[in-house]
Amino acid sequence: MDFLAEGFRRALALLLSGDAEVFGIALLTLKIAVVATTVACGIGLPLGYFLATRRFWGRRAALTAVNTALAFPTVVVGLILYGLLSRHGPLGGLGWLYTWQAIVVGDVLLALPIAAALSAAAVQGVDPRVRRTAQTLGAGRWLTAWTVAREARFALAAVITAAFGQVVAEIGAAMMLGGNIRGSTRTLTTAVALYTSQGDFGLAVALGLFLIVIAIAVNVTLQMLQGKGGD
Amino acid sequence: MIELRGVRHRYDGRLVLNLDHFAVPAGALLAVVGHNGAGKSTLLRLLALLEAPTEGHVLWDGAPVSHRPPIALRRRVTLVEQRPILLRGTVLENIRFGLRARGVAETEAYKRTAEVAEQLGLLSLLERRRHELSDGEVQRVAVARALAVRPDVLLLDEPTSSADRAASGALYRALAQAQAMRPFAVCIASHQLEDAYRWADDIRALAEGRLSPVTPENLFRVELPAGTGETKHARVGTIDIAVTTDRTGPVVLAVPPTDIFVSLGALPSSARNVLAGRVTRIAAHRSSGGGGVAVTADVGVELVAVVTAEAARELALAPDVPVVFSFKASAVRVF
Repeated sequence: MDFLAEGFRRALALLLSGDAEVFGIALLTLKIAVVATTVACGIGLPLGYFLATRRFWGRRAALTAVNTALAFPTVVVGLILYGLLSRHGPLGGLGWLYTWQAIVVGDVLLALPIAAALSAAAVQGVDPRVRRTAQTLGAGRWLTAWTVAREARFALAAVITAAFGQVVAEIGAAMMLGGNIRGSTRTLTTAVALYTSQGDFGLAVALGLFLIVIAIAVNVTLQMLQGKGGD
Repeated sequence: MIELRGVRHRYDGRLVLNLDHFAVPAGALLAVVGHNGAGKSTLLRLLALLEAPTEGHVLWDGAPVSHRPPIALRRRVTLVEQRPILLRGTVLENIRFGLRARGVAETEAYKRTAEVAEQLGLLSLLERRRHELSDGEVQRVAVARALAVRPDVLLLDEPTSSADRAASGALYRALAQAQAMRPFAVCIASHQLEDAYRWADDIRALAEGRLSPVTPENLFRVELPAGTGETKHARVGTIDIAVTTDRTGPVVLAVPPTDIFVSLGALPSSARNVLAGRVTRIAAHRSSGGGGVAVTADVGVELVAVVTAEAARELALAPDVPVVFSFKASAVRVF
């Protein structure tokens, strides 16, 4: 247990001293998480609304596909993208392999099903009279969607939190696509794995604490935003 | 203005509406009455262009409406649901929702909001939110926000179901005021015949998703016994109604009000149905073309008979007067 106590002491020292490497890794992780969550939710929330409100041929199959994708292993996503982004792959020309952009692409693919499936469930949970009322009062497509989203705001905030949680805690795709390159693609999760394997528990615990602080900060912010929205 | 032609509407394969033709003409005051589950709400949703019929056509001014009606057309018709829901925000924001959707200028929006809020007695509630309102108040807000957008056709599904008598009166007065300022068609679905008679120019009955071939009063859902005799007796409440039919099983019986003879005592006649009771209500019968009087009596169940004003005067019909309603078994319609 000594190593844990030592780890916490080291973590505190690193955090208080403003260690450049630790803060650099944390900032990169935050950047990747924010960009990936924004892109995943920017596509996933409208997709979820569409799946929840439109009746079309193949809708059930589409919902099943999205729900199945929730359980897609992160290393498989990493593997497929690795193949696509590698020098000889169809997207090799982008030169994204072992860059933070590649990690973002992987994270988007992993968070997208969460955003789509959970937002579809959230919208389906809204009283159908809300949508009908907006429509019969003359709302267009966007105002109707916005009105329904306002009613489902708590559930949708939880969707964004879940997507962010997936992205910030992801390691498989980040390791395979980013390569865990120091100062370039090293994220909190890949760094924790690396320093743990190297026996540097203090640094690993410090980075782990950063992850927890980020998760708490995001949740508190979302809860505060929800609290401001009355009935 | 808006009409349905050859409409068959199904939910999960179950036929819920079967109408060869149904029209709401411009400026009409129309009431649709019928039992719960008769298809009234579905009919209103089709008329509101919120759903497209499974089969058949919706026409607006004679032109077919597509399955995805253009928003300009949708904005000409507004539905107030039986159990309306208020959107997130204050009463004021709810009333202004439709105006905001249409991009109505601020001064005009303010004027219309104040107008409908006053008509429906909502001025003191404008800053309240939905959880601070009673069901009756929610219903009034829903009517107010529908009136604010000034539709060409206003559809109201049981608009007084949560209202007391005074609130119900206020609502009909507000509708009358709005119509006096600007003519528009109103179609109300209701199970309250009294309201329908007092208010509508035209009353249509729905039963089992179909338009009833007779006026809407005196509709009863019954189980006809098996048997070969030409006259059967159906139990309705505490009375039996004799009916000439070869049908058996679940059916709807309709006793046309104009086929009921009203007398102050039993008269020797061929009528198989002779039912004694007391008058409970007397009302003008607008849909009979003027001059008619609807006499409602409790004869074990409530039955409505339509007589001329002259006959009502001669018989001195008034609430609590004992009367006898008589009608032939063959006058009872079965469908």
